Amino acid sequence: MLHLLKYRFLQTLRNYSMMFWALVFPIILGTFFYFSFGTSGAEGWGETEWESVKTAVIEEDSASENAQIFLEFLNRLDGDILDLKRVSSESEALKALTNEKVRGIFYVKETPSLTVAENGIPESILTSLLDNYNQNTAMFREIAETHPEKLKEASSALENYRTLLREESLGGNSLDPNVQYFFALIAYACLSGAFLGVHSSFDSQANLSSLGARRSITPTHKLKLVLVDMTVLVTIHFINILILNLYITQALGISLGSDISSLLLVDFMGSTIGIAIGLALGCISKFSLGTKLNATVAITLVPGFLAGLMFGNMKNIIELHCPIINRINPAAVLSDAFYCMSIYNDMERFVRCIIILAAMSILLVFLAFLGIRRDCYDSI
Amino acid sequence: MIHIENLVKRYGNLTALDHLNLDIQKGEVFGLLGPNGSGKTTAINCLLALLKYEKGTITIFGKPMRPDSYDIKRDIGVVMQNVAVFDQMSVYENIDYFCGLYVKNKAERRALVEDAIIFSGLEDFRKMRPKKLSGGLLRRLNIACGIVHKPKLIILDEPTVAVDPQSRNRILEGILELNRQGSTIIYTSHYMEEVEQICSRIAIIDHGHVLATGTTEELKKMIKTGETITIEAIALDEGALKDILALPHVFDINYEEQVLKIRLNGARHNLVRILNYLQEHDISFGRVFSELPTLNDVFLEITGKELRD
Repeated sequence: MLHLLKYRFLQTLRNYSMMFWALVFPIILGTFFYFSFGTSGAEGWGETEWESVKTAVIEEDSASENAQIFLEFLNRLDGDILDLKRVSSESEALKALTNEKVRGIFYVKETPSLTVAENGIPESILTSLLDNYNQNTAMFREIAETHPEKLKEASSALENYRTLLREESLGGNSLDPNVQYFFALIAYACLSGAFLGVHSSFDSQANLSSLGARRSITPTHKLKLVLVDMTVLVTIHFINILILNLYITQALGISLGSDISSLLLVDFMGSTIGIAIGLALGCISKFSLGTKLNATVAITLVPGFLAGLMFGNMKNIIELHCPIINRINPAAVLSDAFYCMSIYNDMERFVRCIIILAAMSILLVFLAFLGIRRDCYDSI
Repeated sequence: MIHIENLVKRYGNLTALDHLNLDIQKGEVFGLLGPNGSGKTTAINCLLALLKYEKGTITIFGKPMRPDSYDIKRDIGVVMQNVAVFDQMSVYENIDYFCGLYVKNKAERRALVEDAIIFSGLEDFRKMRPKKLSGGLLRRLNIACGIVHKPKLIILDEPTVAVDPQSRNRILEGILELNRQGSTIIYTSHYMEEVEQICSRIAIIDHGHVLATGTTEELKKMIKTGETITIEAIALDEGALKDILALPHVFDINYEEQVLKIRLNGARHNLVRILNYLQEHDISFGRVFSELPTLNDVFLEITGKELRD
């Protein structure tokens, strides 16, 4: 096993063109970002003055008990995290949203909802507030049903939430929007590991390369070959991402937050999912390398687009209309993990993101193995 | 050792293998001879379970061959038609890597790699990358990677394509040496001279089925041609051609661009009889030579076309 790992490392590291795209290109892109967006993120976190998020509130069903609780929840945040503007009609609220006078609209009703027009940190905070409120509401209902005597304690906890949110989201953290471009860059770099995976799978399939044929007729188990490739590529790609992180933080002076262990974990899971996507894409289908590489471009760009890495509001639009996509889109999950880590400090959601990425990686590697396990081709 | 029965492989409407039957015995150097596109490589790929086939059975070492027949694969070495090595690794590293796919023990592997390097004459190139090697050396590296684990069965698919004569001879000698060391060899080629030189038994294949199988001598005995006489720079009219065709033992003549080729069956004094006729009729001619039948003649007589058509 070590023998195979050693040579796969050597072979991958000496593939200079592949390493350029995996390592050097994101660094060049980061440099362009740095010069394009200025150096506003360079001074570190906590420098930007916080402004309350201007939000419209429409009371659609004030009679409902849940709506009352939600309204109370919003009122507690008014003037601090939120700057609430009560409106009587939806059209007025939408007009304010279109004119960017507010960043979102909260609908106060039995099941509260939110509409945002763009993708940005204020919008993410609004989404996070609603998510957390919904989670707490469910908790209240459960407590009321099972332990009504504890309801008062739970209410106190909700009150503390405001302080918690303010401290965790803002305490020591800048919300400089430029930093999000660097997170997007890291997410893109992670997903571009798919190219390494596809190239590697090229060497495993007899219908694509002579090397694939030669490796297919050896007694080494296919799963072992896939796992060796996966181990080597994830390690190399993870190191590439770490170098990119170091370059962004040390050379460009952009702070990516103080939670290094979480950052490393997201980097690692990002590298893993990127490689796993490439391996699965390379091993499952029987198309030519060119077709697979084109598909990889699509696989890295489309999820990135859907996650809002290119068009700001897309992730929220997806969240509103088809949230399941945001749960399974690796770019969206990665982006969410970065936000959870640096902005929301929402550990539960962060862990959920990491678990989703890990589960998808395992599933994709398994699919890759299935793809070549007993492969016998129609033509070579 | 290998049994292929009624193997049928189709690519769409094209039948690449048409009820192919082969039996290869232990210790043989078995040649698969046929023109390009005759189905040799397809047969090898089916044999190695790389290609799906519509019909037929394949057994190696008495066991059915499947994609996950790892126990069978352990004892097979394959040298592909296309060079299959990693450009990013040196000669030594490539051989060592492929050996590692078969042999786990480090000391054993080291000895095998050294043997393969010496066997293929790559001692002076062990640190070089494949891109720096000549075509012949690259082919030798390709062979070294395929045989480094000393397999019981070695399959070589056109290993001498685009190789200089010196390297070609070295490769052919090497194959015979491997056979002497106990390996059974399957050798595919469209170079009849090579097949004739090293193979103990040959199957002639065309359009995906075996036309004839046997030793070189057995194959030659299957055909009418015992001798081919070629006369250059000769001017003949229709009457003379008819007379020559009527001579004893002559069964076919071909006259093109003042070159006359006469095919005769295996009788003695054929050349004397032809020369006597030319003298008697005062026909002048240039160079004359006589050839015993080749595998090309066998192929020509069986299929009506040359091996290299």
